[in-house]
Amino acid sequence: MARKVTTQRMALNTVLAWAIGLLIFFPILWTILTSFKTEAQAIADPPIFLGFNWTLENYVEVQERSNYFRHFWNSVVISLGSTLLGLVIAVPAAWAMAFVPGKRTKDVLMWMLSTKMLPPVGVLVPIYLMFKSLGLLDTQLGLVIVLTLINLPIIIWMLYTYFREIPGEILEAARMDGATLKGEVVHVLLPMAVPGMASTVLLNIILAWNEAFWTLNLTAAKAAPLTAFIASYSSPEGLFYAKLSAASTMAIAPILIMGWFSQKQLVRGLTFGAVK
Amino acid sequence: MATQHSRAAARLMISPAVLLLLGWMLIPLGMTIYFSLLRYNLLMPGNNPYVGWENYKYFLTDPAFSAAIFNTLALVGGVLLITVVGGILLGLLLDQPMWGQGIVRILVIAPFFVMPTVSALVWKNMFMNPVNGLFAYLAQFLGLEPFDFLAQAPLMSIIGIVSWQWLPFATLILLTAMQSLDREQLEAAEMDGAGPFNRFFYIVLPHLARAVTVVVLIQTIFLLSVFAEILVTTNGGPGNASTNLTYLVYAESLLRFDVGTGSAGGVVAIVLANIVAIFLMRMIGKNLEA
Repeated sequence: MARKVTTQRMALNTVLAWAIGLLIFFPILWTILTSFKTEAQAIADPPIFLGFNWTLENYVEVQERSNYFRHFWNSVVISLGSTLLGLVIAVPAAWAMAFVPGKRTKDVLMWMLSTKMLPPVGVLVPIYLMFKSLGLLDTQLGLVIVLTLINLPIIIWMLYTYFREIPGEILEAARMDGATLKGEVVHVLLPMAVPGMASTVLLNIILAWNEAFWTLNLTAAKAAPLTAFIASYSSPEGLFYAKLSAASTMAIAPILIMGWFSQKQLVRGLTFGAVK
Repeated sequence: MATQHSRAAARLMISPAVLLLLGWMLIPLGMTIYFSLLRYNLLMPGNNPYVGWENYKYFLTDPAFSAAIFNTLALVGGVLLITVVGGILLGLLLDQPMWGQGIVRILVIAPFFVMPTVSALVWKNMFMNPVNGLFAYLAQFLGLEPFDFLAQAPLMSIIGIVSWQWLPFATLILLTAMQSLDREQLEAAEMDGAGPFNRFFYIVLPHLARAVTVVVLIQTIFLLSVFAEILVTTNGGPGNASTNLTYLVYAESLLRFDVGTGSAGGVVAIVLANIVAIFLMRMIGKNLEA
């Protein structure tokens, strides 16, 4: 039996939901619009919504004044690097726990999750001092290592919940048909595991890109990714709204687009499979 | 069927991850505890003598500590209240039939993907600034005095910013949970004469209980560690008005270079987080069995 919905009800829902949706999205929209204004237009009284002369000068200036793309590149290296390194460590572990579960597999998984509960500030001092003496402060490598470790439990958990959904019987069948271990992995398991791995990678890149505790505390001018670079706009001189907006728009655009594609996986990944 | 051979292989495959996480957990943790028992300040090089509980005494009796605990709890509690209630209402709305549902969903989820420093600075400058912010224009338009949000109500303002970032998360998870609700059950209740309120409180809400718990616990873990939003908006001030525990430990360690006191604060933060974590682990542990 289909639910009867009157057109009126539908229209009411639509108007209400769109109004709230646009309100929530407004700060982002406003930032994007402001990035195309001149600094004077950005703080005009009354505020200008669309009737301004669109300009790209802020984007040019942000790059010229502060070498924006170096920080963008740092973000790319750090988020991709930590994700790939995490994947290399996590895939075998998740694979083994999903396909050869032992008596203690569950305990190991829970313990891994518990490392995620360690508040970063609880280990700030030793990590900072260790990095200082190892020369890892303000380096891409240092951040790749830290972000790999803090996100490793999430990667393992996500991969585990995906791998567990691959039916074991398929392996048995392939083995019966005389598949070698290598053939089993390449032709049977890999194709089934790729979608789950892709979502894991996507979610992890988002988390690493936006991580703002370690990136702020362990970097200075050289290895600062966008999170730390944008923070430098908190002590401004003169007019800067339009430039802040341009820098922000470029910083959030790639992740916003990726995030929209991974909504479903986000729920699963961030709740450790508790809500699907 | 797992053989002896495959078990050994499995152990080998798991061990790098286990060893790395074990090292990540135990080495810094041990060092934090060790430092917390020393008089150790980077500005005063010396032989860092053992001082027992002195750092803890100093940290716990510092007026900044009670302020930070209050602020931490207010921040976590305030954001949870706003995001869970808002998330349920928004989830209910988005679960209704409408035109352009997919697009509205995308709009609502967007703030979650904005990095903390960007959202904090955009809110601070372009909305809350008492001279050039949009709220100031709005106040002016309505004939009101502009309000300096971050100076006069710093904690509330930060709660607002952080809620904006986390409302999408709560909404997304609660909406996902609502969509798994059996429609026929609702229709049957409707035919039996249950009104919208009864249907919500007796069918929808109990169904959401688990998702709400997950949202509360996971957000709590993240909200206990809110840092960037405070750093770029108020620096914990004015005074200690918006200093949470994470920020206080950061200030002791990396601004005042007091490694000993900072470490003691770190241990306190770990203890607090663990109390929360115990509940979370129980929740998710149950799910693993299901």
